Amino acid sequence: MGIILVVFGAWVVVKLGPSGEAQFSATSKAPGAVVVPPGVLNAVDGQVRVDATRRDGGLVRLVVAPSTDARAMLTTAAVSTVGAAHYPSGTLDLHPSGTGELPDVSTSDVWRQAVKGTGTAELVVDQARAPETVVITSGDTTALTDVTVSLTWADRAWFFEALAVATLGAVLAAFALNDLWQGRVQAAQRVAANTETTEETA
Amino acid sequence: MTRDDLITATAAKLRLRRDDFTRVTRVLLVSLVSVAVVVTISAVPGCGATHTLLGIHEAPAVAAGSVPLTVDKARLIVSRSFDAAHLGATTTGAAGARTLRGAYSSEGLRAMAGRVKLASVQPLRATSALRAQHPTLLAVSRGFGFPRFIIAQTVESDGGLPVLHLLVSPDAATPYRISMSVEMVPPAAVQPFAPLSRGSLMVTHGTGLVVAPATLLNRYAAGMAFPAKAVAKAPFASDSFSGQVRAGAAGVAKAVATQATFTQVHTVVPRSVFTVRQANGDALVFGAIERTDTFSVKKGQSVNTSGNKAFVLLSGKKRIATRATITTLEFVVFAVPRSTGPATLVAAREQIVAGSGS
Repeated sequence: MGIILVVFGAWVVVKLGPSGEAQFSATSKAPGAVVVPPGVLNAVDGQVRVDATRRDGGLVRLVVAPSTDARAMLTTAAVSTVGAAHYPSGTLDLHPSGTGELPDVSTSDVWRQAVKGTGTAELVVDQARAPETVVITSGDTTALTDVTVSLTWADRAWFFEALAVATLGAVLAAFALNDLWQGRVQAAQRVAANTETTEETA
Repeated sequence: MTRDDLITATAAKLRLRRDDFTRVTRVLLVSLVSVAVVVTISAVPGCGATHTLLGIHEAPAVAAGSVPLTVDKARLIVSRSFDAAHLGATTTGAAGARTLRGAYSSEGLRAMAGRVKLASVQPLRATSALRAQHPTLLAVSRGFGFPRFIIAQTVESDGGLPVLHLLVSPDAATPYRISMSVEMVPPAAVQPFAPLSRGSLMVTHGTGLVVAPATLLNRYAAGMAFPAKAVAKAPFASDSFSGQVRAGAAGVAKAVATQATFTQVHTVVPRSVFTVRQANGDALVFGAIERTDTFSVKKGQSVNTSGNKAFVLLSGKKRIATRATITTLEFVVFAVPRSTGPATLVAAREQIVAGSGS
């Protein structure tokens, strides 16, 4: 048990690093927008950083809205929706759906936050107004292709929790090894005592 | 060779005692199994141990009664719309028209387009209210349905009457735009709405009010007709605006009596009625009424209209021989009680939008 905790805790410590960052990414090749639904975006209590990078260096726009409004905006539009995040591989599942044209998201007022950039853009979403959805587009009605999306959760508490787990495991393992060592010594002493008794009898 | 002999021989090869070899083998086995268990349980999607450690949970459900707009966002929308409205009203040509379309919607756009056309004869005084530095937000929508609204109030910089503004977003893809801006009628006051953080509900069927909003506006419109028609048990209190409209119609009819027959019809514009519940259970009802003034020229008569500069600008006619019509939009806002008492007019404005003649 102690060794399990040491291995698990130490491994998570190494994966997260001192900043407690867990990062997942995927590259969407299907044309259309990329959607990060609340099941992924609002799965933890801390802030989530969403980064999008276009390989062709074109304009990229990230917007966030209440999930019902985002759904109403996209309806039948071609989108790739982020599914499960895989840990520790750091990958995201993307599920393409829809074939319709993307509406011009820049004119709508449903977006609570919006950022845009050339080639890359980044949006930090807190959890105060969850459930929300992030939509990544080209900034107009043209479809995005070949865009890499990264989601980063950061919580220093995760690092220290993992460290605590590893430490607890190390303590347990130390006790267990000590017990094993003591058993070895006692066995050796028993063997020595038996040998002496035999010699005296002879 | 038995299993015990094999263990003893292997331990001897490694120069270890048999007991030590057994312990080392056990520790190695436990370590390998531990690593395998950790890797396996961590690699399973939705792994409970990792989720617990990282605090991963289901996304919260949508709260039906929450407010889709933050107060800051609502203020930004109001400022953006007012800036565009002012720019559109003071810019000529296609650019001005395009800017106005971005600022106003539905009857608000019709009224503003009419106002801009008549700028040379009707000064754009009311647009100065849109330049107010700090419009007061009175209400925003509660819930995620559409249409959504923002109600704001401004006071003209020259100390004129307060103006109520209704901004509406009909669907997720269409931004908020000014649906109407209506000057308040002294000494009317607007009862408070629910706090902006809670949002206000839109009343769709008129239940819980002394009169349904659509019925109220239909009867109010009917009561302003000329020739006058009596309205039995009017659900609204008498007010200065309808009095002026009726008096104006009677005056026009008298002035043109020898040359033309004058009639005036008021019709509530479909889908223009918008009702918002207030904190005390009463409601504020916004509506647009289209007034059509018709002049039927008597046989053998010809009317010189050059004195009516607005009509000349809109119709291009300085003389009519058969018939003329002038279309005016009347924007009204009523306070409608929850249980007893008549509805009272809070704000009203009219704007000529079209004219034609032959």
